[in-house]
Amino acid sequence: MLLPATLEEAVTALDKESTEPANEQKTRILAGGQDLLPELKDHLAEPETVVNVKGVAELGTDVRRSGDGFEIGALATIAALARNADVPAVLSEAAASIASPQVRTLATVAGNLCQRPRCWYYRSEHTVCLKKGGDECFAYAGLNKYNAILGGGPSYIVHPSDLAPALVALDAEVVTDRRTIAIGDFFTLPSESDPTRENVLGPDEIIREVAFTVAPGWRSVYVKFKERESFDFALSAVALALRLDGDEIAEARLVLGGVAPTPWRCRSTEELLRGRKIDDALAHEAGEDALGGAEPLEFNGYKIPLTKALIAKALRKLS
Amino acid sequence: MRVLELEVNGDQVEVGAPDHWTLLEVLRYRLGLYGSKQGCDKGDCGACTVLLDGEPVIACLTLAALCEGRRITTIEGLAPAHVRAGGRGPDPVQDAFDRCGALQCGFCQPGMMLSAWALLADNPTPTRGEINAALSGNLCRCTGYTQIVEAVELAIAEATGATPARPHWAKHESTPPKPASVDGREASR
Amino acid sequence: MSVQSGPQWKARSEMKVLNTDVPRVDGPAKVSGRAKYAHDIRLPGMLHARLLLCPHPAADVELLNVEPAKRIAGVVTAAELADRPDRTIFLGQPLAVVAAETPEAAEDGLRAIEVRYREGGWAVTPEQAAAEDAPRISRRQPNALTERETGNQGRTERALEGADATIDETYVVPVQHHCCLETHGMVVDFDGERARVWPSTQAVTGSRGEVAQALGIPADRVEIVCDYMGGGFGSKFSIGPEGLAACQLATELRRPIHLMLTRTDEFLMGGNRSGGRQRMRAGASLDGKLVALDAEVWRHGGIGRGSNPGQPYIYKAETDSMRIGSVRTNTDANRAMRAPGHPQASFAIESAMDELAYAIGMDPLDFRMRNLEDPVYHRQLNRVADEIGWYDHPNRETPGIPTGGTNVGIGFGVSTWGGGGRRVCVVTVRIDPDGSVTSSAGSQDLGTGVRTYVGSIVAEELGLAVSQVTGRVGHSEYGPANASGGSTTTASLAPAVKDAAHNARVAFSERLAEWLECGPGDVVFANGEVRSGTNERMKLTWSEACSILGSDPIVATGEWQSHLQTSGIHGAQAVKVEVDTETGGLRLVKMVCIQDCGLPLNRMALRSQINGGMIEAIGYGLFEERIIDPWLGVALNANFDDYKLPGSTEMPELVAIIDDDDERQQVIGMAEATIIPGQSAIANAVANACGVRIRSLPLTADKVLMGIQEKA
Repeated sequence: MLLPATLEEAVTALDKESTEPANEQKTRILAGGQDLLPELKDHLAEPETVVNVKGVAELGTDVRRSGDGFEIGALATIAALARNADVPAVLSEAAASIASPQVRTLATVAGNLCQRPRCWYYRSEHTVCLKKGGDECFAYAGLNKYNAILGGGPSYIVHPSDLAPALVALDAEVVTDRRTIAIGDFFTLPSESDPTRENVLGPDEIIREVAFTVAPGWRSVYVKFKERESFDFALSAVALALRLDGDEIAEARLVLGGVAPTPWRCRSTEELLRGRKIDDALAHEAGEDALGGAEPLEFNGYKIPLTKALIAKALRKLS
Repeated sequence: MRVLELEVNGDQVEVGAPDHWTLLEVLRYRLGLYGSKQGCDKGDCGACTVLLDGEPVIACLTLAALCEGRRITTIEGLAPAHVRAGGRGPDPVQDAFDRCGALQCGFCQPGMMLSAWALLADNPTPTRGEINAALSGNLCRCTGYTQIVEAVELAIAEATGATPARPHWAKHESTPPKPASVDGREASR
Repeated sequence: MSVQSGPQWKARSEMKVLNTDVPRVDGPAKVSGRAKYAHDIRLPGMLHARLLLCPHPAADVELLNVEPAKRIAGVVTAAELADRPDRTIFLGQPLAVVAAETPEAAEDGLRAIEVRYREGGWAVTPEQAAAEDAPRISRRQPNALTERETGNQGRTERALEGADATIDETYVVPVQHHCCLETHGMVVDFDGERARVWPSTQAVTGSRGEVAQALGIPADRVEIVCDYMGGGFGSKFSIGPEGLAACQLATELRRPIHLMLTRTDEFLMGGNRSGGRQRMRAGASLDGKLVALDAEVWRHGGIGRGSNPGQPYIYKAETDSMRIGSVRTNTDANRAMRAPGHPQASFAIESAMDELAYAIGMDPLDFRMRNLEDPVYHRQLNRVADEIGWYDHPNRETPGIPTGGTNVGIGFGVSTWGGGGRRVCVVTVRIDPDGSVTSSAGSQDLGTGVRTYVGSIVAEELGLAVSQVTGRVGHSEYGPANASGGSTTTASLAPAVKDAAHNARVAFSERLAEWLECGPGDVVFANGEVRSGTNERMKLTWSEACSILGSDPIVATGEWQSHLQTSGIHGAQAVKVEVDTETGGLRLVKMVCIQDCGLPLNRMALRSQINGGMIEAIGYGLFEERIIDPWLGVALNANFDDYKLPGSTEMPELVAIIDDDDERQQVIGMAEATIIPGQSAIANAVANACGVRIRSLPLTADKVLMGIQEKA
């Protein structure tokens, strides 16, 4: 395990030539370790070197107000974000819904965005699925109750992060050691790039911070549905941010979690919401539009009415 | 192998451990602190919960190397800390768990009490919903959690001088028998 | 009462200790973290061991070479298990074992073992196993076998034809795991002559024999210590393959061996509650009688037989018939799990009773009572109905329909169990001249409070405080005792403790009579004093009385006394649930359980058992289900992340009621019964709330939501 003191040292320590499936990378970054340690214990990841970035000076731990927005250090903990009363509600609510209090103490914002999928075929030591460089996504024709209804193929994982949809709804940017990436461009669909990865980060690239601006008049909410309230991932989740002009929606950002391999932004639904008043009819229309392209697998069709219901709940909460 | 300097239950300790060891391994295989239980070793059950600088963490998912120079409290440290702080008798949270019968097999209890302890340090008068949320990372297979929550509420009531709420089952205890006392540890009704 | 009349429980009104709330005597050890479990035992030179499990449901082991493991740093030995088969028959079957200086070295060793499997045909689901071309799992019998038939099916068919309303439905229950927070395993210290063993066990006495056999030494050279253990729920009666492996290593190495299963091992080979499928064809008359029931019951216990007591369970049908059998699959054998078979039977019959009640437009509570003969159930059902608010509930004869918002529903269920004891325990009570009193029994405390009543029964007898008597359990030297299972502990052990306490009191009375100038029968033990019953001024403090013993302590033993215990218990439960009809999400609002148990020994421990039964039923009802991919044969949720147990936020208001209307002055075990009907009541509450009947557990949101969608 390496303990670099600077970002440059940390980047240098990572294997930039890596072409292996993501879980087989020879070097891995460790921050809070709440996802990496279970991966190591399950032998899903067996890196030669773990780069512990806790001591890297450039990686902040603060949730900081900056101008008309916020800058959140890569190493800010989920607990700190959940407790923060200043950040938009969608973000603190998403943070508070994550895992357990103990996990939130150590888990970091960057780690949450980069965590690996929960799909049980991926997590099993006894399968070599598409996510691990194999040929087949076993969820597709398997027990896929928890898998994707949108954007699936060839891998049908759902992105496990709760912060991701919230940050997309805030139109955030991910700042790495070398570039700034609009969060909408950060996550990748398995059909569009290496299906063993969930984002555009290079093998030696490190997130420094996440930043977003908060324009006046925006309100937001995170509605997450878990199978079990204690310590669970989303079966479906809705991150919704609205700018209201009187009782009319002037602008909207609607992002789904737990239903697609990335946080799933519903741009046509956002257009549909613009200029409308929130009522049951609109909630119904929004749900129909957002889920219009859903292609359920054998056991996850319930996610369609579930997600529609969550969209309606989110709209009602902001009305 | 790395030599770590940790503050464990108020004592400065130096301990040699491989890089990849977790805090739980250091506690159970180096320091002889067996109160932190290994229930799943994957962060899911909470039986190994300890406090790191006062915040609850799962020791089996906490790399020991991350704890360098930091303050760790295990279940063994609660009572001595209470005495060092000028308290008398057992730690109030532990005492409340005992008197409410908030345990059966007892395997989950150390972690459960540390989660409760961290909550009360941060928020001395939590609601029942906040108590349940604070304990949501600790699995218990025996008790049904009810007496655990009652224990936390008893600890709150005693710390604030309030009268603990009468438990909802109590009205069915038609002729309330006098609770027996064991070493002065009278059951809480 | 004369001391010569043999042991009798006092009237409840005279009790000072029993039938009150007694804090656990081992509470301080547990809350302080001092209590040591098998996991926590550390001995000089001790090695850590791990098992290699077969990752396939069935396979020929073509190659198993442990030598590479031995070359891993820290590994001391690696060995094939003594009885390892050439062909495995269940997913997770153990094959080899590694011992090393640290747990991680043992794991590295495990992964270095060279092993090659040729996967054979297998079946992991009952459907696969029952298929015509399915591979045979047992040589002795077909995979699906009807084992017993009861009643006259032809007559039931005719009765069904004459019924006013009938249902024909199939109810499915999943495989549930025990999920003891402490996994299975033991520490063995064997020097070639004698052994000291710390198992996590429900059977101290039984473990001694098993270990002796495994080590090839007489049982009297084996000492079993189990001061504390982290839960059993029926899964820890035997030392199991893990115990045998530990003994094998200890024999080879003569070093202490620490072998505890990992959590994943525990899921794969630590036992389970059998699943099953029950087709219920039932008919009712409009006046509310269950006129006919034909049941086809299939148990699914992996390579085991599964369990189910059969139908119509507690209810009385005018005509009934049943075929009951088991389907074997290439999965771990079921074991006893809290009330074996009963929750499975309960789910089918309680669901069917509800469906029939609504079919004839009758209040399901009324319909139950009309078909329960024992009046105790009528009393108990009324009590829980009152507490849950049934009589103010709108949907009493017709279920609600999905409103688009939150629907509230209430459901019921009843339970039964034996809970009687048998002759096995020998208990020793010793009163020493210094005033100390010990009560020793070779039983074990799974967390139920056994250690506490082993002392408190004696305290009651001798008029002492609980803290003046040391209850000792968890050691094979303390005398024979039965395994703690089937709620038989209390009714087997408590009478023996009472008998020993009584004998000690009689013996002490005889020694004291002369000093108190009264007959032995007139010596009174009360309030920490011993006095003459005929002359108030003649009295001794406890320490004065004991000092009279000089160098000759009182040592009395006790055995089981049939008349101090009985069997046959009843329980009823009610659940109130909120269904979010938009999402299918369930929130349990309140759950009530009334349970009788004869004479209560410790009310606080009883309520805890009742609460614990309810939460296990909540897990069974809402979340718990073993998942094995039927096409790949891979276990998908052998961890606490994907196998979901209820947590604190799932807990409704739990109301535990000890049924004090039960005036039987005999002890009965009761813990099993408290888990039986909860999941049935939850399913009934969901149906009552919104008309959606879920016939397969668990009642996860996806099923409820799809049910609501179908209705809409």
